[in-house]
Amino acid sequence: MSYDLPAKFEEFSEARRQGFLRVKQVKENGGKVAGIFCTFTPTEILDAAGFISVSLCGMSNETVPAAETQLPKNLCPLIKSSYGFALTDKCPYTYFSDLIVGETTCDGKKKMYEMLGKLKPTYILHLPQGHDSDPVTVWTAELRRFIAFLEEKFNLTITDEALRQAARQRNAQRQAHMKLMELQKQTPPPLGGMQMYATMEGTGFMFTHEDRVNKLNQLRESVEANADRSAFAGAKRILVTGCPIGGVLQKTVKAIEENGGVVVCFENCSGIKAAFQMVDTEAEDIVKAIAQRYLQIGCSVMTPNTERMKLLPKLVEEYKVDGIVEVDLQACTPYCVESFQIKQLCEQINIPYLAVETDYSTGDSGQLATRLEAFLEML
Amino acid sequence: MSNYVEMWKDLGMDLEAHDLLCQVLPTAVGDVFLTQENRPKAMDFWDLVISEVHGIRPAELIAAQKEGRKVFGTFCVYVPDEVIVAANGIVTGLCGGSQFWVPGGEAVLPKSTCPLIKASVGARLGKTCPFFRIADMYVGETTCDGKKKAYEILGEDVPMYIMDVPQMKREKDILKWKDEIADFAKMVEEFTGNEITAEKLAESIRIHNEKRKALQRVYNCRKSKCLPISGRDALLMTQISFFDDPVRCAQMCNRLADELEQRIQDGVSVVSEGTKRILVTGTPLAVPNWKLHNIIETSGGAVVCEEMCTGTRYFENLVDESGTTLDEQFMALSQRYMKTNCACFTPNTGRIDDIIRLCKEYQVDGVIDCSLKFCCLYDTEKFTVSRALKEAGIPVLSLETDYADTDAEQLRTRIGAFIEMLNG
Amino acid sequence: MNYFIGIDIGSTCAKTIVMDSDKKVLHRMLQPTGWSSLDTAEAIREKLEQLGVPTSESAIVATGYGRISVPYADKSVTEITCHGRGACFVHGSENLTVIDIGGQDTKLIAVESGIVKDFIMNDKCSAGTGRFLEVMANTLALRPDELCRLAAQGGNTSISSMCTVFAESEVISLIGRGEKKENIAFAVVDSIVKKVASQAGRLTLGDKVCLTGGLCEFDYLRESLSRQLGVAVETDPDGRYAGAIGAALCAYNIRK
Repeated sequence: MSYDLPAKFEEFSEARRQGFLRVKQVKENGGKVAGIFCTFTPTEILDAAGFISVSLCGMSNETVPAAETQLPKNLCPLIKSSYGFALTDKCPYTYFSDLIVGETTCDGKKKMYEMLGKLKPTYILHLPQGHDSDPVTVWTAELRRFIAFLEEKFNLTITDEALRQAARQRNAQRQAHMKLMELQKQTPPPLGGMQMYATMEGTGFMFTHEDRVNKLNQLRESVEANADRSAFAGAKRILVTGCPIGGVLQKTVKAIEENGGVVVCFENCSGIKAAFQMVDTEAEDIVKAIAQRYLQIGCSVMTPNTERMKLLPKLVEEYKVDGIVEVDLQACTPYCVESFQIKQLCEQINIPYLAVETDYSTGDSGQLATRLEAFLEML
Repeated sequence: MSNYVEMWKDLGMDLEAHDLLCQVLPTAVGDVFLTQENRPKAMDFWDLVISEVHGIRPAELIAAQKEGRKVFGTFCVYVPDEVIVAANGIVTGLCGGSQFWVPGGEAVLPKSTCPLIKASVGARLGKTCPFFRIADMYVGETTCDGKKKAYEILGEDVPMYIMDVPQMKREKDILKWKDEIADFAKMVEEFTGNEITAEKLAESIRIHNEKRKALQRVYNCRKSKCLPISGRDALLMTQISFFDDPVRCAQMCNRLADELEQRIQDGVSVVSEGTKRILVTGTPLAVPNWKLHNIIETSGGAVVCEEMCTGTRYFENLVDESGTTLDEQFMALSQRYMKTNCACFTPNTGRIDDIIRLCKEYQVDGVIDCSLKFCCLYDTEKFTVSRALKEAGIPVLSLETDYADTDAEQLRTRIGAFIEMLNG
Repeated sequence: MNYFIGIDIGSTCAKTIVMDSDKKVLHRMLQPTGWSSLDTAEAIREKLEQLGVPTSESAIVATGYGRISVPYADKSVTEITCHGRGACFVHGSENLTVIDIGGQDTKLIAVESGIVKDFIMNDKCSAGTGRFLEVMANTLALRPDELCRLAAQGGNTSISSMCTVFAESEVISLIGRGEKKENIAFAVVDSIVKKVASQAGRLTLGDKVCLTGGLCEFDYLRESLSRQLGVAVETDPDGRYAGAIGAALCAYNIRK
């Protein structure tokens, strides 16, 4: 079986382009692709089942109008963009997916998955909301159910050993990722946030464990050896928190770095939030160990979201942060509401805080730049 | 409502702000309710309650507290009242249906939060809702993102207990909800100091089933082609039932149903023949939110059913009374509450089945699917609801609104056009 | 009784149609709505009397957002029903989809066998309406029709904000950046067309799609809309009177 590449192929970044070619090849060799949307997706299980997991999070405004013919306008742009890609067949990752795995995280995604389920085979994991008396047991049971589903549906066996091996590999990748990000603790930081983000994003589209770890390690070594440390000397050190920001990098991170700041730490989905927790690969019950690991992710869909409240002050200290910028996507209720508590937290630990809400359009770039510039001047 | 000033002062309410609120209510009640012709006489009870909505019931609650009873404020139809009443506790609804409270909520919540949540938080923080001053304990739930996160903020100001509502309805989720109800019962026992026995819970289940049956009886009368009660009056009854004592609520609803059944026999209708029968579905309409019903019923339509939390979702499905142990009863409660179909569940196809069934039962001409602004759950479901209804040959109008009056004219045009469309 | 009158008081313009008992259009009147719908209604009444059309003896239906401000009308009908019926009359077809871009509202109306079957209307915000075009034209110191003509020569620019207020500041920054006027005009029309098309996505379009309302005379807008929707959008010189014509047609049901 052969597959065509999308028309816009040439416009993509190198890692993404490689990703396209590789996913095509994987499919042509009879491989299986799982589309995922969230850091709560237990990738170890998909790895052990021989799936390649690819993030389907939409980062472009391009498909939002198409999505809005079915979804409400007042919905987060990431959700609209993702659904739009599926609806218009513009994303080969969605197109190539044998299975899409979603979770009951936020209301918007939860309801979008129902509609996505009509377009693609979709499996939903029931994620505890943080107030369960025993979330680990509930989430472990949910993961076992998922394993059983994969085994039956795709006629395969997922052994504990395969899960352990997958967990070891994912841990190694997380460690490599952490080490790279930790370079930014240095003063001045060796990398700009834009570069750092491009790296993190690129590895998300690499399909083998070795490639991902090697890429992360190579990059770290090359930065350690060659970084121009003067580039961000004296720049204000910013921590970015909030929603996934792949779709709004230019008007947030770039704007910060063009106005006297440098993003030294990303505490969001592709950053530290979901990278520092390791699976206990020696645990007696490996599925439970995996479940425990994911429940430590401090996402605002949890109530209360104590993990985030614990993590932020720690990062502020470790990364010698001068100010926190929270970037929330429009209509993301969990993060937008929680930002009130983050503001209170920042007052307590005495760190300047700015929250901005934006979407994937460019209409507010000027306004955002002004606010970010003023914030940096204030520091 | 002047006789209650001392009580409000004792409750620590902001009297000046509360006066402003009290000034607008009588006009609204007059415009929406008292202008109607040929109302059922039994509505006098609800007219009285609404005229002193911050007086009569709060005074009763305070008197009960003096006898050592605990008052629980709740926000959602998934919280099992039976458990609270079995421990001699009292359940009350809370304020959240007026634009008056929205700015107060916006002080701590994003503007893009649903008005019901903003108003609830504003009513508490602004000290202008007696129920929010009286309750000893507040029971929230992990239903929608907005409430889930707003409870965290509210929890800084009041004692809150959060029930973990499942997001799906598989067998294991029903079992999980049963465990959650059992945990809740433990908290209620400790908080009230009263043990919940199987006998007491059985009695409480019976009381609440009677209340549901009474509400259903009134709604059954709305199924008649000879429509004996307006949608506005029926809505007021349902809204107040969240605040009332369940036994009295059942009595009053039965008294109303007696009159309505008689009216049907006598052929007394509140609308002229050919008035289009509308079912409204969507997000709840909390007191005093009567905007939608008022516009529909002054544009040539009559609301005959609400597939809403302030409607059929509140009282349809009884709890199985055959359980003799707490374990069986908790399971029966779980099963009953998990039959309620809210958009916070995934999937929620049961709601579509409900709407289509109710359209037949209530002989409906058209459906208005209306959600509060920024409720992405119901807003997203509109697509599937409207597709399913069109397939079933039922005309549907999807709307979105908030508590402000600024869109009243636009709504009037759309609803007017919809009813013209039904008239053909 | 000889006259059947439809009065459509829109947010910018008031349109009046007088028909005889054979549904022949005798008079067309157009005037700005101004500040007060009541005053406008009164001015229309005076003009009708001058034309020898006695309002007291005619069947009159009022529509449009000022429909409740016509004290001498026998009935008020919403502009959605009227535009549906009026468009059928104007285009001589009982099955069509009507796109009405009005001053304040954009409506999409599906008509089957002469009866409105479904409709969509924009929410409170003015994105994709005539008002949007007017505001942007003002910012560019053009008349709306000039803007549409100019847009035909432009391209390669876009306005991303749907909100009129934000879009206006986007236009201002485009001007500040020295972008060519025709390109900005293109972006304005493009934005309206995309917005309307996104609304149209929620409705099943019929075989025949027609544009009514004040903007139906703007050729470029029509062409652009046709391209975006992938279907030939038709217009008629009487398109802007569709609401008033529909109202006049509704007047035939009035018994006096």
